[in-house]
Amino acid sequence: MTPSQGPRSTPPSVRRYADQVTTVPALALRGLTKRFGATLAVDGIDLDIPAGSFYGVVGPNGAGKTTTLSMATGLLEPDAGTVAVLGTDLWAAPEAAKPLLGVLPDGLHTFDRLTGAELISYAGRLRGLDRDTVRARRDDLLAALDLEQAGQVLVMDYSAGMTKKVGLACALVHAPRVLVLDEPFEAVDPVSAGAIRRILAAFVDSGGTVVMSSHVMALVERLCDHVAVVGAGRVLAAGTLGDVRGGGDLEERFVELVGDVRDQRDLTWLRQS
Amino acid sequence: MVATVVAIRLATMRHLLRRDWWRAVVLALGVLWALAMLPSLLIARSALAGQDADLRADAMVALVAILTLGWVTVPLVISGLDDSLDAARFRSLGVSARAIMPGLLVAGLLTLPALFVAAALAMLGSAWAGEGGAVLAVALVGLGLVLASMVLGARVSAAWAARLLSSRRAKLATAAAMTAGLAAIAPLAWVLFSEGLTEVVVEDIALVLERLADTPLGAGAAAPGAAAAGDWLGAAWRLALQAGWMLALLAVWQQNVARSLVAPVGRGGGARRHHDRVLDPVRSVGAPRDPAAAAVHARLARAWTSDPRYLASLAGVLLLPVTFFALVMPVFDLDRRWAYLVPLMLAATIGWGRHNDVAFDSSALWLDIVSGRLGGAVMRGRLAAVAGWALPLVIVACLGTLAWTGRWHDAPGLVGAAIGVLGVSLGVAAVSAVLLPYRAPAPGASPFGAEVGAVGAGLAAQLVSSIAAMSLVPFVVLPFVLALTVATAWGWVACLAGVVAGVGAYAGGLRLAGALYDRRSGRLLAAIA
Repeated sequence: MTPSQGPRSTPPSVRRYADQVTTVPALALRGLTKRFGATLAVDGIDLDIPAGSFYGVVGPNGAGKTTTLSMATGLLEPDAGTVAVLGTDLWAAPEAAKPLLGVLPDGLHTFDRLTGAELISYAGRLRGLDRDTVRARRDDLLAALDLEQAGQVLVMDYSAGMTKKVGLACALVHAPRVLVLDEPFEAVDPVSAGAIRRILAAFVDSGGTVVMSSHVMALVERLCDHVAVVGAGRVLAAGTLGDVRGGGDLEERFVELVGDVRDQRDLTWLRQS
Repeated sequence: MVATVVAIRLATMRHLLRRDWWRAVVLALGVLWALAMLPSLLIARSALAGQDADLRADAMVALVAILTLGWVTVPLVISGLDDSLDAARFRSLGVSARAIMPGLLVAGLLTLPALFVAAALAMLGSAWAGEGGAVLAVALVGLGLVLASMVLGARVSAAWAARLLSSRRAKLATAAAMTAGLAAIAPLAWVLFSEGLTEVVVEDIALVLERLADTPLGAGAAAPGAAAAGDWLGAAWRLALQAGWMLALLAVWQQNVARSLVAPVGRGGGARRHHDRVLDPVRSVGAPRDPAAAAVHARLARAWTSDPRYLASLAGVLLLPVTFFALVMPVFDLDRRWAYLVPLMLAATIGWGRHNDVAFDSSALWLDIVSGRLGGAVMRGRLAAVAGWALPLVIVACLGTLAWTGRWHDAPGLVGAAIGVLGVSLGVAAVSAVLLPYRAPAPGASPFGAEVGAVGAGLAAQLVSSIAAMSLVPFVVLPFVLALTVATAWGWVACLAGVVAGVGAYAGGLRLAGALYDRRSGRLLAAIA
């Protein structure tokens, strides 16, 4: 952890995850289960996310990705199962495990009566950082994510993409060891997406771990070295990107695993001529 | 379209009842209560039928005027009662306001309170049956228009108040509304204090009712009285006035619905803030020093000055104490010492009002939860942000009351008791906010709306927190009562006891709430969002 320095801007070099893999996974999920009324949203998920990996979690809508990530970050209490962050039990010792995590959830509100700058400071102060460190990192993050102009504007006036970016800044400000990001690129413009990609790649390069959910297979193939396919609350396949896609392309493998739309009905009435 | 909108309303209701059994229990209790009121209504009906037409008309005018005021003001004061269909939900469907209005109106009439008032008005209106079919028809038409005016009036007042509070001049608007409220009550209070209740009832009330009968507050109820007296022209123009008023409200409401169909959710208007108030907060007494608690305090301090939902609760705290002082005291001709209830009520209202404080964060709460085991710091920051304005306000109210009574030797006891009540009610509220949170209006939504179906959970939490606070408050206030009734020396005991109990309950409630927050952190988000 390097205090008050911006993320490195060096392009990602060869991923060194293979020789960085320690025996302790960055995130170890064991038997995670969550039921909402009659719906079994997450059905006993076991998953090891190796330290130093860039891990993609993909799955169809309603597969339980967000529920799983919520349980893995302390936002939702599991009905059963455990979560260990670098060997520390998250639900038994949150005070030790939560500082290791940086979290960006999807589809939740933010404290939108603060400005972007204030929101990043808020996240930093909650993490117990001193004022000077927060100030320096806040300015670094605003610059790196191209939010300098927007820093003094209330978050309630942000676009969806800007809100994502400031949320990512909040997840990064305490220099965590593991980043858990739910759809971090959704609604983000290509220029900003490039900046985020560089930040995340450099983070992994320096030994950090990123867990990212996404619906965009091309993005996962481009960024991630590991991938897990989740469907109906279970892990359908997990491992290195190469292992999971098995020579083909990830999208084909994904459709194969979760099954295509069963009734591919022709919408004749939609035809223009 | 009417059928579609009503069907949506009934379907959401049905799904909610199926999902949470306790909502059905709350609904059933409501129905039982309404049924239990039937005998009283029947008695009232026969009593009315036995009176002569003048008196009957006066009674109905008084009843209708009070009910109308209730419909318009109660949803503004007790937040979360208005669980009507939010027109903004139709935003993405591309329908016009004109198309969904009839449906919204019918759906608005299909709530338990509206149905109950409709039944009650129909029953009481039938007391006119003795005057002949034509008069009865006038009565029922008039009361029907009155009912529609009530339901529409409630919608319009909530919509306007929400719009005002989310405007950029929200703070000014809140202050103006509070001043206007006080100004409206002041002349009445002055008359009551100077003339006494008997005089007012004998002379003024009759005059007031006569005047009300010519306004939209009472015209619909007064029409059958005119008809019974053979003044058919008087009946006709009163019905026309009531109908015109209803149509005016409908037009205003439609304009509000049309606006909410196109206007984006509350926005900040692009205002820039150059100072990072989280990192460098404005120095204030009692602000916590711990970084996390200080950050939460700074965030809530911003909310208390700019978030419509907080401003609405701020404006609401004065209502109970002011009503007591300006109306109850003169009406019952109470001794001046009863005015000491004003700061105590103020303290209790402020504290109790925070019983769902955590839920106001909505799902933005995630940031507090993922950032560590911060329950203690979060609750300390939250409570400090309330105490920062509540304590000075309560002390000022104490001093104001003492100036009014002129009994400055009561000061130690009163200040002690007020601090005690504030501390106890805030402590209880802090625990309730973590233990029994229920859905609050989301950021940017109308501060007066409830999430569809949250009313039941809200009532349960409100009931439990009031009972808890009510059972603790007497211990704090007792020495002060002794100071007033037995010996002045008790005042110092009350002072000490109040401060100790208040600070103790505040700190204890905070500790307990913090610990509960940590234990329940994995369930809080699901409970409020």
